Amino acid sequence: MHELTRMWRNTRMVVLTAMCASFYAAVLIPFMVVPIIPGVTHFRPANALPVVCSFLFGPAAVWGAAIGNLIGDFFAGLGPGDLFGFVGNFLYALAPYRLWRACATGDPVPKTAGAWALFVVVVATGAGLCAATVGFGLQVLGFVPFAVLANVVLVNNCVTALVLAPLLLAVLYPRVRRVRLLYDDVIGPRPALSRARRALGVGLALAGALVAFGGGNLAAAGALPPSLAASPNLGLAAIVLPGLTLAAVGLVLL
Amino acid sequence: MALSLYLDHPSWLHRRHPVAKVLALGWLFVAAFLLDHPAPLGLLLVLVLAATASARALSVLHQMRWLLLPVFVFTTIIWTVFYPATADGPVDRWVAFRYGLGMALRLETFLATGFVFLATTTIEEFAFALSRLGVPYRAGFVLTLAFRLVPVFLDAALTVRDAQRCRGLDFTTGNVATRIARYAPVIVPVFIGGLRRADQMAFALEVRGFSAGRPRTSLPRPGMDGSDLLLLGVGGAITAVVVALRVAGIGRLVAQ
Repeated sequence: MHELTRMWRNTRMVVLTAMCASFYAAVLIPFMVVPIIPGVTHFRPANALPVVCSFLFGPAAVWGAAIGNLIGDFFAGLGPGDLFGFVGNFLYALAPYRLWRACATGDPVPKTAGAWALFVVVVATGAGLCAATVGFGLQVLGFVPFAVLANVVLVNNCVTALVLAPLLLAVLYPRVRRVRLLYDDVIGPRPALSRARRALGVGLALAGALVAFGGGNLAAAGALPPSLAASPNLGLAAIVLPGLTLAAVGLVLL
Repeated sequence: MALSLYLDHPSWLHRRHPVAKVLALGWLFVAAFLLDHPAPLGLLLVLVLAATASARALSVLHQMRWLLLPVFVFTTIIWTVFYPATADGPVDRWVAFRYGLGMALRLETFLATGFVFLATTTIEEFAFALSRLGVPYRAGFVLTLAFRLVPVFLDAALTVRDAQRCRGLDFTTGNVATRIARYAPVIVPVFIGGLRRADQMAFALEVRGFSAGRPRTSLPRPGMDGSDLLLLGVGGAITAVVVALRVAGIGRLVAQ
């Protein structure tokens, strides 16, 4: 996690953060006229970019996705929900590169069945964390129910990222590596983690995403113990927040 | 779609200190969040609209009507349908409708407040306010730089899209996955161009001492004056009234 703060001392990473943010916003903005839930979310082909940038620029993409989403909101309405959008997009870009480097040694360009399976899992984990964060926040603020928004965000993120990201990575990854702008080249490689730590981190991240997203949907569907069901938002918080915390701890370990 | 909502004309709200505007924005968000009854939320929205009109920024709300009107209708309907049921019996549809209306008014208040803020505050002022509120300088720098780069990337993307169309790339046929995949030949050249620009920009910043490690100097800006404090006081007073209403059990329809 230290690299998420350390990168701010590196001018190249700062500029790459701005580039990721502006690129994300520049592709988000033209599609804001195609709403899925008016005022809340829209068709977002740009959602492949945080995943692509995550594999290329690591921590710069994490901050870039969060800031890019905020800039996109500047054109479609600033509000307290943007805080959850910021955190959700932060997690959406954080999960892919952390999980991939913990589970694989090869390039994040899926070619074999195993690489494809891992790619789907890391993208779905990031998308699930983003969906749970945004869905929870916007239900608490009274914008849209969790059951509606979280599922729309998950599908929107997964479809665009799984279709577009492998195509873009196949073209961009070798080129970015050639000009030595991959995050490991810019901020230096990090020390190898023990097998046990990687297993624990991956396990916590996956379990946390499942609890936050799956549990949130169960809570929204009313499948809660009576002690929690008295208040819908409290019940949702009791399920989603521990899940997100678990996933965040797992990602920190990686 | 306009690439900035900022209205470049003088008004009392334009002249307010950026920190005062950000804090007042926060106060109004808190006040709207604490209410769910349509009556007080409607009153709050009227106050925001009055402030917007006095800052001659109603044109922004008119410009964003494509968003504001569907949001109102959609939010009212969806929360009327998803009104939380209780164990006491079937949902009272009239109460559900009032709750949906309250949620729609809350969301409209959030949006209108955000739009008037964006119409009267430049991105540089926003970044300055964030830095004064404790956000590190570099984060504010990234925000302003990224904001400035958006039109550059957008312009490049449109140029590349037109060039690919001339080569026969069709974005209008095929299923959803096929259409999404056709954006790859647009995104790749723009991305590579962006990388080149980022590399040059990093060099330019370095030679200007961006990472010199010495204390940063900046042009002095005037502090908050009496009018800024008045704006903060009004925002705080509105929130205090809302908190008092909430404590008295007024302004709420359901337990959250």
